[in-house]
Amino acid sequence: MALVGACIVLFWILVAAVISPLWSVDPLAQNFERLMEPSAAHWFGTDQLGRDVLSRTLAGSQTSVPLSLLLVVSALVLGGTLGAIAGYFGKAIDETIMRIADLVFAFPTIILAMVIAAALGPSLTNAVIAMLIVSWPSYARVMRSLVISTRNSEYVIAGRLMGAGAFTTLRRDILPNVVSPLLVLATLDVGTAILLLSGLSFLGLGAVAPTADWGAMVSDGVQQFSSWWIAVFPGLAILSIVLAFNFLGDAWRDSLDPRTAGNIQGRAM
Amino acid sequence: MKIKQLKAPLTAALLALSLVGLGACSSGDTSSPNGGAGSSVVVDTSFDLKTADPAREFETTGAIVSHAIYETLLTFKGDDVTQPVDGLASYTMSDDAKVMTLTVKEGHTFSDGSPLTVDDVVFSLERVQGIKGNPSFLLDGIKIAKVDEKSLTMTSQDANPALPFILPNGALGIVNSKVVKANGGTTDANDGAEAFLNKTSAGSGPYELESYDVASQVVFTANKNYSGPVTRGHDRVILRNVAGPTQLLNIQAGDSQVALDLNPDQAKELKSGDVKLISGPSPYMIFVLMNQNPAVNKFTSNQDFMTAVRRGIDYGKIINLAGEGAVQPGGVIPSLFVGALKTDPSNSFDASASKAALAKSGYNGEEILLNFPNDITVQGLELQSIAVSVQAQLKSIGINIKLAPQPVATELDSYRGGKETLGLWYWGPDYPDPTDYLVFTPGQLVGLRAGWAADANAEITGLAEKAKAATGNEARQAAYEALQKAMNVSGPFIPLLQPAKNVATASTVSEVSLNPVWTIDLAGIK
Amino acid sequence: MPASSKAPAQARPHVGKTKGNHPLARYLVTRLGLSVLLVFGVTVVTFILTNLVPADPVQAALGEQAAADPEIVARFREQAGLDKPLLVQYFTYVGRLLTGDLGTSNQTRLPVADEIGRAFPATAELALVAIVISIVIGVGLGMWAALRRRRPADHIIRAVSLIGLSVPTFWLALLMYYVFFFKLRVFPGSGRLSPAAIAPPKVTGLYTVDSILSGQMSTFWDALSHLILPALVLALYTVGLLTRFARSSILEVLNQDYIKAAKAKGLPFRVIIIRYVLRGALVPIITIVGLAFGSLLSGTVLVEKVYAWHGLGEYAFTAATKLDLPAVMGVGLIVGIVYIGINFIVDVLYGVIDPRVRIQ
Repeated sequence: MALVGACIVLFWILVAAVISPLWSVDPLAQNFERLMEPSAAHWFGTDQLGRDVLSRTLAGSQTSVPLSLLLVVSALVLGGTLGAIAGYFGKAIDETIMRIADLVFAFPTIILAMVIAAALGPSLTNAVIAMLIVSWPSYARVMRSLVISTRNSEYVIAGRLMGAGAFTTLRRDILPNVVSPLLVLATLDVGTAILLLSGLSFLGLGAVAPTADWGAMVSDGVQQFSSWWIAVFPGLAILSIVLAFNFLGDAWRDSLDPRTAGNIQGRAM
Repeated sequence: MKIKQLKAPLTAALLALSLVGLGACSSGDTSSPNGGAGSSVVVDTSFDLKTADPAREFETTGAIVSHAIYETLLTFKGDDVTQPVDGLASYTMSDDAKVMTLTVKEGHTFSDGSPLTVDDVVFSLERVQGIKGNPSFLLDGIKIAKVDEKSLTMTSQDANPALPFILPNGALGIVNSKVVKANGGTTDANDGAEAFLNKTSAGSGPYELESYDVASQVVFTANKNYSGPVTRGHDRVILRNVAGPTQLLNIQAGDSQVALDLNPDQAKELKSGDVKLISGPSPYMIFVLMNQNPAVNKFTSNQDFMTAVRRGIDYGKIINLAGEGAVQPGGVIPSLFVGALKTDPSNSFDASASKAALAKSGYNGEEILLNFPNDITVQGLELQSIAVSVQAQLKSIGINIKLAPQPVATELDSYRGGKETLGLWYWGPDYPDPTDYLVFTPGQLVGLRAGWAADANAEITGLAEKAKAATGNEARQAAYEALQKAMNVSGPFIPLLQPAKNVATASTVSEVSLNPVWTIDLAGIK
Repeated sequence: MPASSKAPAQARPHVGKTKGNHPLARYLVTRLGLSVLLVFGVTVVTFILTNLVPADPVQAALGEQAAADPEIVARFREQAGLDKPLLVQYFTYVGRLLTGDLGTSNQTRLPVADEIGRAFPATAELALVAIVISIVIGVGLGMWAALRRRRPADHIIRAVSLIGLSVPTFWLALLMYYVFFFKLRVFPGSGRLSPAAIAPPKVTGLYTVDSILSGQMSTFWDALSHLILPALVLALYTVGLLTRFARSSILEVLNQDYIKAAKAKGLPFRVIIIRYVLRGALVPIITIVGLAFGSLLSGTVLVEKVYAWHGLGEYAFTAATKLDLPAVMGVGLIVGIVYIGINFIVDVLYGVIDPRVRIQ
């Protein structure tokens, strides 16, 4: 499964970086007849504005995938840092950070993201900011609990006794031990991020027209029900890439110690 | 106490009704009632409903609801909105178009059986004025006075030839003043009858409110005391809130009998089946505005740049996108109304003329923002599609448009504040009269949104004043045509299209009655 | 997630030293206090968020011509309380809230509490059916996979559960509707009831329950048949989630000594599974069920849009995009309370089922 996942991810990276930029049909060109069924000339058909669905599906990989990766990395860094600080220093700092995390948790992701996106105005950047605000706490919590459990292990205490400062201890003794479970969580979260981001675009709160974006394309397809190809292909694209990241993350987690693995499930969407 | 006493009969009535419903179910056919007493019909539409109180209602769905429950003083026959006809009253207009005398007809009764009187009329109209709601402007500056038990006068400060076209508006439906007053109704801002009118109807129209849910559905039952001219096709009408694509599926599956918001592509799919389709141009006018305020953008107020945009849009392509039934109006007034301009060469596609004008304008590829609401569909047509299309067309001329969509609620602020560079919006008629389109002239409501100040264009202001003062259909037609022609040369608005209105009806429906003002007469579904 | 916040090192030093107080009661009171604080925090955050929107809600509420009339605008502001400073607005809101008043919608002028009272049961009913489907299928599959560990069945279930987690729900909702309603006509169309049916008299707001209470069996079947398709779409994700959790927690229990002991004692397989394994795995499963249910209650907006299901998700979406601030506040508050409530219940169940949590 990991192999399948890796292949799909590689395929989409290749599409985003090489194939789509070189593709002969412009994803924004409205030169074709509208709502054409898939045919030899247009494998995935054309949409309501006479744009080629195949080239748009390919181009869609350039928005969703890198942005989701960026989002997860930012959430990892932000949440990880806050979680490490909370876990290492404890007391009031811990309480403050974790209560804020609780507060964010008390809001459902999609509704909070929706309100923030509506407040900031629709754009992919704002959608990512909205999702960053709602997604850092899960990393903070995991990081915090991992830090707490390693903080009192002998080698960390030994390091501290030898005069290592907080930053050094965190970086040298704790970070290496918590990095792989966090990365697994992040990998599993890429899929969720793509789903959320395309969901926001589907609602009109993400990608701005005329950008080729999978979620926005599915929402175009909603209007033209019988032109199934407009929605089906971008939907399959989302499915394939999310599945790929989930396969990868799952296999990776499995290769870790099963006890740690049990601890690091991302938040339900 | 009172409510408690009412509850038992109400529950009994509901139970009885549900038994009727079950009876219909068990016969295995809810989808094809064949008219007549006891039968029901399902109408699907996308709601923009806010209230069932006529004096506060000013939405498309609200107008459907209001027209089914309340009657108006004047009305229109069928879909002809060029000639107001008698409704609850007949009228005469003074020569200077300032004083309108209405004589209320006898024999109209409210749903509680009481007769409709001049007092009800005066109360209802004054209530619309007094509560300062969305439709209050319809009767701005008009004095309403009871003359005797049969007649009243409506006096305007200036000539108001549009008043007969305004009175058929559902917001001016006549309510049972005794009942409404008893439930908190007043003719000032303290009015508190809305909650009551959202539950119980107090009108003389063909239907009563059976249930009202602002988000999902409104159910109507026959008003047993109705004494108006319309014969109801069905005794029960269910108006459901359903999105366009689902409406298509529902009507094909026989789940509904009328679908009101199909876009042309959806409508096209119905051609093969046994669902019937009525298409024609809608009264909605979609336009582009170019801001005249140089502080907002120095190009959009530049005459050459404006011409370049005007001639650079491929109108044929947009009409094609909007599908069968859509038309390009010659000016801001839709093709259905008095004063409409058929075509105007100023608003036609000419790439070379456009490029020539652009070269003169001093524009050099600067980014121009096009603002539009991305959650608005006009008759099932998404404004977003049009924006994307316009962007691509102007790109080939050499104009670099950047799309800046927002949800309508957020975007309205900058639109109404006159802060948009280019804007893509639509105008739905408040009443089917060209007077309503004077808002597009300098210093007026929509003119100001395009930064078009009152003193910006003396020629057009003069033409607008002439048009406003003109009386008689011919003179008005000529005056409004002249106004629009001038606006198409130097004005900030580019009328793009009137999208098609597509109404689909199931094969069991023999007749529907549509009208641009109230969309559909629910009693006329047969 | 409570599971991770209950990490071993999160010691509460004073809990062990309880004198006289029942530890469970103390635990409950602490959690309850925290929950109330959280609800308060939720109102602050929602209020700040809704006021960040760079647009005037008055414009969104008034018609084209009415918005141009300064008198109407001023009156609207006054009635909606928008003419006062933000702090005053906030405290007025909280003050009303304490009396149970959620304010009035800017759009429909109906009490927000009434609108939520209508929208919430619709979503709750959908979420309940979805969560029941998910528990049955998810725990079943998870158990099966755990018992067939590393065999083909395990791998297939694992792949299926991953697919469940990977499908975009809005897309699936559309496909399912097209195939099962339109093409195959297996399920009825959109909405909660058939068009001709009348909603049962409101008791709980859940049509299935209300129709049984009032003895309208045909309405019950009608409501149920409308529920199945959207519930299945929603359940796919939670089935995936639950399957994975059930599998891993059951595996963990299966490795415990007491299970081995039970096996060695020769207890029947069924007894071992039901009395020991399931019970042992219950805590993590309940946790995730609670979380999944919470997210279902709010995460249905995409599905509600496709199925014309006028529930809380749709209400929240409309409120947010229409700048209906009281409505947004109301939804934020209700959903926050539900979330916090579910977390609280899960925590309590934790304490009840697993005494170690209390003693720790």
